Amino acid sequence: MTEVLKLLTRNVGKPNSTHVDAYMGSGGYESLMTVLHKWTPEQTLNEVKAANLKGRGGAGFPAGLKWSFLPKGKEVLKYLVCNADESEPGTFKDRLLIENDPHSILEGIIIAGWATQAAGCFFYIRGEMPAGARIFQKAVDQAYAKGFLGKNILGSGFNFDVWVSRGAGAYICGEETALMDSLEGKRGQPRLKPPFPAGYGVYGVPTNINNVESYANVPLIIRNGAGWYTAIGSPSAPGTRLFGISGHVKRPGVFELPSGVTLRELIYEHAGGILGDRPLKAVIPGGSSVPVLRADQIDVTMDPDGLKSVGTMVGSAGVIVMNDSVCMVKALLNLMEFYAHESCGQCTPCREGTHWLELIVRRLEEGGGRPSDCDLILDVAGNIMGRTICPLGDAAAMPAISFVQQFREEFEAHAREGRCPMRDVRMTAAI
Amino acid sequence: MPLIRIDDQEIEAPQGETILRVALKHGIAIPYYCYHPALSIVGQCRMCLVEVKGAPKPLTACSTTIGTLPPGKKIEGKYDMVVSTKSETARKAQRGVLEFLLLNHPLDCPICDQAGECQLQEYSYTFGDPASRLEFEKVHAPKRVDIGPHVVFDVERCIKCTRCIRFCQEISKTGELTLSERGVYTRVDIFPGRELDNPYSVCTVDICPVGALTSREFRFKERVWFLKSVNSVCQECSRGCSVRVDAYKGEVLRLVPRDNPQVNGPWMCDYGRLVTERMKGLDLAGRPLLRSGAVWQGYEWKEFGAALVEKMAGFPALKSDSWAVVLSGRLSLEEMAGAQAVSQAFFERSAGSVPDVAWGEDDELLIRKERRPNLMGARLMGIPVGEQNAPLSGLLTGKKAALILREDPVGDAQGAEKAAVETALASMDLVIVADSAFTDTARLAHVFIPLAGWHEMEGVTVNFLGVAQKTARAVVPPRDRRPFYEVASLWLTAAGHEAPEPTFPGWHAKVKESVPGLAGTSIKDLLPNGLQVLDAPAKDKVKKGEGA
Repeated sequence: MTEVLKLLTRNVGKPNSTHVDAYMGSGGYESLMTVLHKWTPEQTLNEVKAANLKGRGGAGFPAGLKWSFLPKGKEVLKYLVCNADESEPGTFKDRLLIENDPHSILEGIIIAGWATQAAGCFFYIRGEMPAGARIFQKAVDQAYAKGFLGKNILGSGFNFDVWVSRGAGAYICGEETALMDSLEGKRGQPRLKPPFPAGYGVYGVPTNINNVESYANVPLIIRNGAGWYTAIGSPSAPGTRLFGISGHVKRPGVFELPSGVTLRELIYEHAGGILGDRPLKAVIPGGSSVPVLRADQIDVTMDPDGLKSVGTMVGSAGVIVMNDSVCMVKALLNLMEFYAHESCGQCTPCREGTHWLELIVRRLEEGGGRPSDCDLILDVAGNIMGRTICPLGDAAAMPAISFVQQFREEFEAHAREGRCPMRDVRMTAAI
Repeated sequence: MPLIRIDDQEIEAPQGETILRVALKHGIAIPYYCYHPALSIVGQCRMCLVEVKGAPKPLTACSTTIGTLPPGKKIEGKYDMVVSTKSETARKAQRGVLEFLLLNHPLDCPICDQAGECQLQEYSYTFGDPASRLEFEKVHAPKRVDIGPHVVFDVERCIKCTRCIRFCQEISKTGELTLSERGVYTRVDIFPGRELDNPYSVCTVDICPVGALTSREFRFKERVWFLKSVNSVCQECSRGCSVRVDAYKGEVLRLVPRDNPQVNGPWMCDYGRLVTERMKGLDLAGRPLLRSGAVWQGYEWKEFGAALVEKMAGFPALKSDSWAVVLSGRLSLEEMAGAQAVSQAFFERSAGSVPDVAWGEDDELLIRKERRPNLMGARLMGIPVGEQNAPLSGLLTGKKAALILREDPVGDAQGAEKAAVETALASMDLVIVADSAFTDTARLAHVFIPLAGWHEMEGVTVNFLGVAQKTARAVVPPRDRRPFYEVASLWLTAAGHEAPEPTFPGWHAKVKESVPGLAGTSIKDLLPNGLQVLDAPAKDKVKKGEGA
């Protein structure tokens, strides 16, 4: 069994872990002191680049490379944004860090600020995480008091501020440019790109945006070096990942593991196997937006290459496990309701298509489906896929297409029988 | 310059230009809704998806720009970009988006004012499927929302292209509109407590590609395919916006701006447009009238010339300095020429002056405070223009006779000025008033000549930028009202003077003799967007929008 690593989660569960003194007691903010006193911004950036830190928000874009897109120099006003709008169904890893170890995120943000010579960072946290917002704000206040934030940080001449901003409950505001519009007080709606945030971001200022977990990795890289970091996990996506496992497992939760762990091990070893000891039916490996896998497809590594081989993605590493009591049509209906509700409504295919998909899937589940509905779902989802400004359209289309492709027989049975054939199983499974 | 290929056409296109603009310029039809040449690009309707070689998915033509590939990497050895608007991929994308747009659209074309000029209808015929695959209840939304005094909003018909929102943000700069709600319930909405009530609000109706925004004044009046349209020029201020006048059965039903980059771009103001409403209250006189005592006597035009000459002969004591001649900036150049000829022949003097009537302020977009459309024309014709808003009583007091053309000094004045004008006119021996309505001034006249309105006649006016444009006859005057140049021919020939033909071309030829900028031009040179006959002050150039 792959050993659980306590790197990102090193402070989780320790007493008083959100307090700056406790954090500093275990070597916290030493990485910040190192870069401020010994390293140039270029050195700092190059170290993160060399570590090949892949973004943890879902797309997996190299963080160091992203930082280097910002215009150079102190005199250019630049902002950072930390995307803490974690709202993908099945994803709850950032919340763990925010609520248990806010200073590790904050330290990563300040180091990134030094590397990019940014003026400050907006910490945009999901509206439904009031505790997280409170805890993080407290951490920011403590950091100001200790001189890790504000003017002339630790005598280095570097000024940096962090502002905590709460979202208002829209999934779409996790999309980087919708987040920026929301930050500015506008309706959260993805922007047409180009221009990209590195040229035109928050308030029109060049902006770099990363996920919470991405920033939290930065102090580790600085402290231990890029070489140490790239030795962990698979080479294509080094480091550990926070896998959030939910659904029909005996031990749901967040597990920190090297990225090369297999899906089977994750489910059966770390998460304790399937609830009720029933057979596994399906797994969504990376948050609700990625294509679903059948039970026979779980012998793959949880890294980009491994999951690509079975046609899916790591995404946000939120693993949703379903046992044989689950009706796949009903599960898809749940997802389609979500995406139809969360579509911002600006692009025609996503606005109209997500709603239509919800109606078709509901009809199937409620017994009014047609034999042709499988093809209709594939066609409608195909008309959304790749036709929208932001990836929400794709995020809705991918589960729709994969559910039908992987479990077509079950969808057709719904239409054929005029009822949900899983109904009895669902009622007797009692789990 | 990058070389690109769109379908079968090889085009040299400027670097950074969008595929859509290049295609439109070269006559390649790509369907679009949210794009508008004068508004920012948002790329959200997704209708203009095209296949670009090398791109993993279809791209929006409105927002994809053209770049240059390095020499070794050119497509097929020479192209910087290869675009297909009609390939299977492009067509499937377009068909898909159109199906989505129609999904929850009410399809109430039979009662929709936009029918016949609706982009959704047109693209559906060209790119869409004949049948809907939706087997569910459509999403319904309010059908008659009063969002402003002149605009009515049908939420169901809206395709969320957001052109109206961007117009209010970027052009009128009033920002009344926004999107609200999410997903399929997304709708254009007005901010709480606001009204869509800005000087250009009806432009949102013009740019709405579907029947979601309709004009309160025009809706339900007539099916658009029955309308008879002419290109003309708005005469409500010295901007002289290029307009299309739509009429049906002798009634002008609406004015729509014509895109004219050198005058008004694609816009016009609500005040100009609502001339259709103001015309309704006018007291239209149909025949020339002579008054003796309190009795008005009507004449046929063919008898009127002689009657007028006879009437004037009754006042042999009137000398040239007994006459006040008030012309108007509402007269066309040809009418001004007629007035000049009449003045010379009957009053042995040059024509009088033109008052400069102004109110309000110039705004940053189109509206000019000078409300007379042809002041610049008067200057070109050598007719003096009075001081701005100078009282007309000064011109009239002490005179024994007056000729007043297309001005209403009584009706337009108030208080002491009104009384002074009334007193001056009442004490005169002979007052001749010519106007397109029977005005308060006409009531004090001895002779009333009914003139055609600007939408009922041909004439050339020159706006404040020095652009000469031609009005056209949108409707035959409901009664036999005539342009003043026709009256002038009639009047002159009745007294035995030489006169040009009583037609627009006849008098326009005379105008060309006195306006240097028009020398050697023909009427065709004035169409469709006018002719610069004077150098415009650079700061007054308008923002350009090209061919919506």
